[in-house]
Amino acid sequence: MFLQTLITGLSIGGIYALMAVGYSLVFSVLNFSNFAHGAVIMLGAYVGLALATKLSLGFGLVLAGSVAGAGIIAVLNERLAYSVLRRRKAPSLYLMISAMGCSVFLENLVYATIGSRFYAFPEFFGRQVLTLWGSSVSLLDMGAFLFALVSIFALHVFISSTRTGIAIRAGVSDMTMCSLMGVDLNRLIAIVFLLAGGFAGVAGVFLGIKYLVYPTMGWVTNKAYIAAVIGGLGSLPGALAGGLILGVVETFVSSYVSSVLRDVFSFSLLIAFLVLRPNGLMGQDTEEKV
Amino acid sequence: MSAGHTFFSVTGLTKDFGGIRAVDDLCFSVEKGSITGIIGPNGAGKTTVFNLVTGVYRPTSGAIHLMGEPIGGLRPDAIVRKGIARTFQNIRLFNRQSCLENVMTPLLQRERHSFVGSVLRTPGARRRQRDLADRGRSLLASLGLEPFASQQANTLPYGLQRKLEIVRALATGPELLLLDEPAAGMNPEETKRLAELIAEIRERFDVTILLIEHHMDLVMNICEPIVVMNFGALLACGTPDEVRSNPDVIAAYLGKGKKSHDASAQG
Amino acid sequence: MDYILSVATLAGINMIAVLGLSVFTGFTGLFSLGHAAFIAVGAYTSAVLTYYYYVPFALALVAGSAMAGAVSLVIGIPTLRAKLRSDYFAIAILGFGEALRVLLENLTITNGARGLPGIDSFTTPFTVLFCLAVSVVLVSNFLRSRWGAACIAIREDPIAAEMAGVRLFRTRLLSLMVSAVFCGLSGGLMAHYLSFIQPVMFTLTQSTQLLAAVIAGGMGSISGPLIASFAFIALPEALRVAQMWRLVAYGLLLVLIMVYRPQGLMGYREITSLFGKRRDDGRRER
Repeated sequence: MFLQTLITGLSIGGIYALMAVGYSLVFSVLNFSNFAHGAVIMLGAYVGLALATKLSLGFGLVLAGSVAGAGIIAVLNERLAYSVLRRRKAPSLYLMISAMGCSVFLENLVYATIGSRFYAFPEFFGRQVLTLWGSSVSLLDMGAFLFALVSIFALHVFISSTRTGIAIRAGVSDMTMCSLMGVDLNRLIAIVFLLAGGFAGVAGVFLGIKYLVYPTMGWVTNKAYIAAVIGGLGSLPGALAGGLILGVVETFVSSYVSSVLRDVFSFSLLIAFLVLRPNGLMGQDTEEKV
Repeated sequence: MSAGHTFFSVTGLTKDFGGIRAVDDLCFSVEKGSITGIIGPNGAGKTTVFNLVTGVYRPTSGAIHLMGEPIGGLRPDAIVRKGIARTFQNIRLFNRQSCLENVMTPLLQRERHSFVGSVLRTPGARRRQRDLADRGRSLLASLGLEPFASQQANTLPYGLQRKLEIVRALATGPELLLLDEPAAGMNPEETKRLAELIAEIRERFDVTILLIEHHMDLVMNICEPIVVMNFGALLACGTPDEVRSNPDVIAAYLGKGKKSHDASAQG
Repeated sequence: MDYILSVATLAGINMIAVLGLSVFTGFTGLFSLGHAAFIAVGAYTSAVLTYYYYVPFALALVAGSAMAGAVSLVIGIPTLRAKLRSDYFAIAILGFGEALRVLLENLTITNGARGLPGIDSFTTPFTVLFCLAVSVVLVSNFLRSRWGAACIAIREDPIAAEMAGVRLFRTRLLSLMVSAVFCGLSGGLMAHYLSFIQPVMFTLTQSTQLLAAVIAGGMGSISGPLIASFAFIALPEALRVAQMWRLVAYGLLLVLIMVYRPQGLMGYREITSLFGKRRDDGRRER
């Protein structure tokens, strides 16, 4: 029971981490909380769903298509809703409100056009179950967890050792300096959103397979946001750690305490972290400049 | 150093930001009624001292006393109530408010109004508000800003914005007024008039003034004594002539910039 | 006619909540994504009082508002004391709102997620008009008081405000409480007008709509947000737009405002200033 709860927690945590990465990436460069991320994940899930059901593609192609689709949506989102604000050097709060608006807009647009029906992905993995040390674990959970670990590690390597990655990190420390040094900021930011969107696509597909696809499925990203805050907004290892911690703790709370209190608990954790440790476990100092 | 009869003093004041020591074991005192100047090369930690004195930052160690009372580490608004007011290097007005409203805010904060009376706007509350507006207007008038009373603060010309900031500081009823580069961006003629104004303010409002300035003429003309800072520490302190002839000061300003802990003429 | 009256009444109820939020957002410069929670507290407190305990309506309204004010302290004290970044604060209060809603969904006295049906419909269009008028007067008096001046100073520049003797934490907390009280009043009126309340009415979407009205109407203005919130309720009704398309429009509007007109409809002005009136004490008309 304990081990099973732990593994379930880790797999949910892995999906949280995949989503939290998107928040952290955008936050690390533009220093605002991109609340449209949940909507991008939802759209990514719909793209994947369309590829899987209309074109009957296999899992690999569905995942690739969803990554590309969500990536493009995220880049468009930035171009249309944030780039003007960014150039005007608007307060980060304005960006956040604009993001909020995008999220409300996209969710309800899907609701109004596609409808509120719940859609299911075809069963890629069946209901296969692995038996580990006497506990049964679904293959999907295990896969999501491993995929999250591998892809976040790959992203971390990309950010810390490639030219573009280093440029992104430079952008994190000083945007103006970066543009003075001849780095094309627009391209850099597009890459960041492409990456964030790509991860949103992956998360969308996994979420969709696990919990169905519907317009407000992005709501679960509130949890991912909490995970990003716990880990420290702007930190990739933090997003992973935060996601896993939240996933495990939540699963334990709901199976040993009360499933009703699970969400109250998560939101309280969010508030506690914001108040007591706003930089999270691994984030850098993000004080608003006086 | 005893704070016995000193009007204002900082003792062993130190501030670290991460690994950087911005203010280093600083000691100096200010006589009541004086116009004391703080000078020093860029990055010497002058504004940080103001931020420490006014509670924007908490000191890492050291003490600050005003009229014998320790004020180090208090909240900014508490320090204001103890009698210290300031202006900012880069003007910080309540931009979208009128000049009168800028001055009314500190005046109102000094009052003890009844909340219920204010929200119901009883005749008494209205009268008190009108009286305060009159006081605000006369404060504005004292620095020649009365004609702009209802003009929005950020539409004033630069020089007037600086003046308005001084009026707002005076409206808190300070004993000690801190001016952070009041002459920044002014030409020699304007600077000269500002010097006269500062002297006049000291007389009229009976305040002690501590100012940071880069315009040497202004400092040498109206400040006595002068505190010289370098690398966060006290480099020298004395009359304008003493400071001008101090070899450490000359060395610091000529850019040899050797860290000097043996601060010579300590006040 | 009845239909128009009922739309106007709902708009009026919404306007009281928007008025409250505008004290906090428009005049104190803090953003909240959780004020629907205070509407919920007001609605449930007053409804439970009249429903189970037969408390007189007026008293229940006052109790609902007071309860909303008290609840605002629970979230306000820790978050405002910590001087969170403005966006972190908005998120913390969002988390609080969601947590509170989950609680409402699981308490017995609130009848859980099914909601409370059959609340007496004590609210008349006249009650709403009266409450709205009183609220506008109280809020504008508050803003002209010592505390209102402190709020506005904080919005303009928190550091300079402290140097003008403003107590940052207390003033922000007071502003949050005032805004919560009016949201609570709005909730109480709403519960006794719709005669049915359910936790799902008080979600993040509702909070976003309130914030959208304040921002679209304009920061630092009372009349702007009131006009905006009236338009937000009345226009879709007049045009017979379905609920989901309204939300599509809200979302789009928020983005467009941020991108093209961050000052909103009446940013830092009042409708009366269009006629160039000035007060005798020289303060600009607000």
